[in-house]
Amino acid sequence: MPTTTIPSNATVLSSLLRADFTTQWRNRKSVILILLIPVIILIAWKGLIDKLGGAFVLSNCITIGLNAIGLMGYSNAIARDRDKGIFQRLRVAPLTAWSIMASRLAVQLAMILLVTSAVFIAGYYVDHISLSPAGYALGFAMAFVGGAVYLGLGQAIVGLIKNAETVNAVTRLVYFVFIMVGMFAELGALDKLGEAVKHILSAGMQPQTWNQHSTTALLVTIGYAVLFSGMGIKWFKWSSK
Amino acid sequence: MQHSSNTIVLQVEGLHVSYGTFQAVSNVSFDVKAGEIFGLLGPNGAGKTSTLSAIEGLLHPQSGNITVAGYNVKENPLHARANLGVQLQATNFQPELSVSEILQLYAGIHGVALTKEKLQTILADIKLEDAARKRFGQLSGGQQQRVSLIIAMIHNPQLVLLDEPTTGLDPQSRRQLWERMEAMRDNNHALLLTTHSMEEAEAVCDRIAIIDHGKVIAIDTPQTLIDKHRNDTEVISVSRKGKITLEDVFIGLTGRTVRS
Repeated sequence: MPTTTIPSNATVLSSLLRADFTTQWRNRKSVILILLIPVIILIAWKGLIDKLGGAFVLSNCITIGLNAIGLMGYSNAIARDRDKGIFQRLRVAPLTAWSIMASRLAVQLAMILLVTSAVFIAGYYVDHISLSPAGYALGFAMAFVGGAVYLGLGQAIVGLIKNAETVNAVTRLVYFVFIMVGMFAELGALDKLGEAVKHILSAGMQPQTWNQHSTTALLVTIGYAVLFSGMGIKWFKWSSK
Repeated sequence: MQHSSNTIVLQVEGLHVSYGTFQAVSNVSFDVKAGEIFGLLGPNGAGKTSTLSAIEGLLHPQSGNITVAGYNVKENPLHARANLGVQLQATNFQPELSVSEILQLYAGIHGVALTKEKLQTILADIKLEDAARKRFGQLSGGQQQRVSLIIAMIHNPQLVLLDEPTTGLDPQSRRQLWERMEAMRDNNHALLLTTHSMEEAEAVCDRIAIIDHGKVIAIDTPQTLIDKHRNDTEVISVSRKGKITLEDVFIGLTGRTVRS
């Protein structure tokens, strides 16, 4: 038998990334929607900025965007591809399972970057909110940490529910609940999770305000991200059959 | 119709697959040689898909040994899969990607450099030169099958698994696919085919295994199976035109009962 050559991880990953980013680009209507919602809310809240503070408003809007990425974008894309057997087709190729997921997550990290940038840009030009360079840098960092929670939650939902349509319905409901709770209500753990994400974003944007409560919120956020991701990975099945 | 060499490309030994208490595959053994088309036939729920999934490495069997091109599927999964080309039953490519993008993706993950010229040659070979920019979902069933087959072959694997490849194809497309399969066999590839069409199995397979209730109940060339069982009472009783066919043997061996 001739010697078998396995393609390098870099070759595999670059092919997957090109395909996944192309897929995301072709779904740009949903990308635009994910970008528009937090920006529209930011513009609508213009009158509240003096009362609530620029960082608070920005953190709320970014959290709404992170919600949409994890719950509406990521989980539904994974559920659909699993339902269509796209993962199974990839898994019979000589690549590792982690490379398939790493590529998918890279697309979502780019989405987090995009949403956060869109909110910062709209905040600067429309609402005249400007942050220090450290504030912007920490804002991005906290957006990635916060985004991990909602991606983990999306993963847990896809792990728990096999049917793609049910995943779609459940994630919409959870998204709606998060938005409503975040804006108008208090609801135990859900409220704490949303508050923790908003808090680390807000404190990150104003590094001088970072305190013990911020550190606790960061730990809570990381804890939720690990918990949800762990559940999602443990329960996840590559096939919906 | 024997073209095979003695090189065993796929070896399945004592395969056991169970789901909870249900034994889907029980002590299944067979091999496929280079330059051979081997058919795996069986009624619905007989254990064909579980056997294929175990070969593909998509499920872990309770026991048994599978080697592809000499590589153990469990111990060297990536090496085994690098020697394996798969055409699955369902459409399973990202619907947003075009035909050329899908080809580039699968060439990339198999470590095959695909230049524009090579891509054009491949598309011309499957008569899809004008479809490079079309989305996979916009292709006809026959075109989709041709793309799936070319993707299964893009890395020139030693073993190709074809899971009911002609389902839903018109007679012309089916004949064309048979010719492609025969060309692959002539190029010394080993092919494992599952099909419900006995006509297809008789037309293209060098050897077949009939599997039922998770067990291999017969394994031989189509003609030898017909000759061996032509006088069986069950086979004669299901014969429709006075001439014993592979389908008569199949129904005679697996029973008339419709499976779910």
